Amino acid sequence: MRGMDLSLNHTQKLRLQRALESLESGTNSNASVTVADTIPVNQEDGVLKGHGTTDLDGEVVATVCGVIERVNKLVYVRTLRARYKPEVGDIIVGRVLEVAPKRWRLEINFSQDAVLMLSSMNLPDGIQRRRTAVDELNMRSIFEENDVICAEVRDFMRDGSLQLQARSQKYGKLERGQMLTVSPYLVKRRKQHFHHLEKYGIDLILGCNGFIWVGEHVETKDNMIEDEPSKPDPKNNKSQISISLEEQEQTYTPLETRQYICRIANAIRVLSTLGFSITVDVIREIVDLSTSKGLDIHDMLGAEFCVLVAEKEAERRR
Amino acid sequence: MVGLSVGEKQFIQGGIAQDLRTDGRKRLTYRPIFIETGVIAQANGSARVKMGQTHVIASVKAELGRPSSSAPDKGKVSIFVDCSATAAPQFEGRGGEEVSMELSAALRQCLLGGKTGAGAGINLSSLSIVDGKVCWDLYIDGLVISMDGNVLDALGAAIKAALSNTGIPKVNIASAATSDEQPEVDVSDEEFLQFDTTAVPVIVTLTKVGRHYIVDATTEEESQMSSAVSVSVNRQGLVCGLTKRGGAGLDPSVILDMISVAKHVSEQLMNKLDSEIAAAEAMEED
Repeated sequence: MRGMDLSLNHTQKLRLQRALESLESGTNSNASVTVADTIPVNQEDGVLKGHGTTDLDGEVVATVCGVIERVNKLVYVRTLRARYKPEVGDIIVGRVLEVAPKRWRLEINFSQDAVLMLSSMNLPDGIQRRRTAVDELNMRSIFEENDVICAEVRDFMRDGSLQLQARSQKYGKLERGQMLTVSPYLVKRRKQHFHHLEKYGIDLILGCNGFIWVGEHVETKDNMIEDEPSKPDPKNNKSQISISLEEQEQTYTPLETRQYICRIANAIRVLSTLGFSITVDVIREIVDLSTSKGLDIHDMLGAEFCVLVAEKEAERRR
Repeated sequence: MVGLSVGEKQFIQGGIAQDLRTDGRKRLTYRPIFIETGVIAQANGSARVKMGQTHVIASVKAELGRPSSSAPDKGKVSIFVDCSATAAPQFEGRGGEEVSMELSAALRQCLLGGKTGAGAGINLSSLSIVDGKVCWDLYIDGLVISMDGNVLDALGAAIKAALSNTGIPKVNIASAATSDEQPEVDVSDEEFLQFDTTAVPVIVTLTKVGRHYIVDATTEEESQMSSAVSVSVNRQGLVCGLTKRGGAGLDPSVILDMISVAKHVSEQLMNKLDSEIAAAEAMEED
């Protein structure tokens, strides 16, 4: 069912079906169309046929499966499981693919790679100045290949790819955590995408492109304040190879924080399997549900918990 | 495979050191295993195994053949693995050959024993029909559809399930022929003998990351490994085969420790596989 790899026994299948049915009955099914359905339009003239529609024998017919949207005279069909559709101001999480002259190229689950210009990024010393050739040579000390970065969409370039900016302190490299990939349509645009869960000491960043970061909380330092201790010299990272195993073990994430990180990550995985929208409140509820049931972290990915989450969501929406 | 940043690599290593991996598993916990038998109708036996995102299919075909002159009372088994291009883009065309050869060789070692056939997990004598003249040739094929680490264990489990699903047709030997001629054999279409799989071993792969071993590594965890040892253990707890992968060297005491850990894990894995195979066969009959 829905391509899930869970082996549900008979009762679990029934419960899951019942929960999903009660969720579906709440929605307005009049607006949804499949391919080749006619779209009811009041006046035949003066109707702008938008994306996902076509004119067939004088009737407006849908060419994709989705929901009908009307804006004044424009009628279009919005697909549900579309690729990520970026907008200016979106917070996204991406992975560096390439270090190019004066820019970094990031992979962000979009049809093209996004570009983060060197000038859109704060320098390590925090001074606002013109980027010199030396800065360009030291780009790798800021971000390297395969680094996970949080940034904001600045605007679109002429060929349709994105330009990003990471000027604020809350953007930048993400370490000490894990990155998850979900379908972009599950993360809706909200006012806040950065969540600091104080109870667990964890940073949760819900990228609009479907990349979600769950990691240990990192205090955002302001480089302009002189009294604060400076960031560790990036060169120290290179000598990590020579750090012994014992020293490395001391820098690992503490076990309790790690447990919460894994619980939140598994909660997101369950939501992604079931196709429910991912918001902080829902995640918090699922984590509380799992701890109240005393479930082992790995059991959160099992069939029973999946059915419980579906039932809870059905109850919540009623 | 998508690359990992330094921070993510550290997180994975830390998790393994603290016995809490990224999906909440302990070091010696397997991902949920999902088995389906009888997926290929034309084969004598087949099975599909899913371990997380790793999907493999194994099929067994039996054909009549001549036994080799060095072992006239034994049948022949050949194992071959194919990595499909859907598993990874680099497997397109002939790109998957290296990995396929490695997996096939490891499986042959684990299941077929030495050159003389001693210590084989599959009883080759049961495949003989007429000594020196006719025997069954088993062709075991594995197909890797999707890779997310630990493909060898999944293939071992799939072969075990496929063998337990295998039905060898009953053979009636016609009149006794002279020593030169091939005797006539009549292959029955209705009656089948279930293959005896009690001696087939399971393969447990232990991946060493830092100072600890983990079982059932995902692709991300495998990218951090220093070396991996695959041990095949049968129901009696005896080691049937041993393969080592990876560039780092291992102290002999470490290998002995890994073998004992693998033996311990294999008991649970064997029981889990048996129950899943039984459930799959029951589902198939419905």
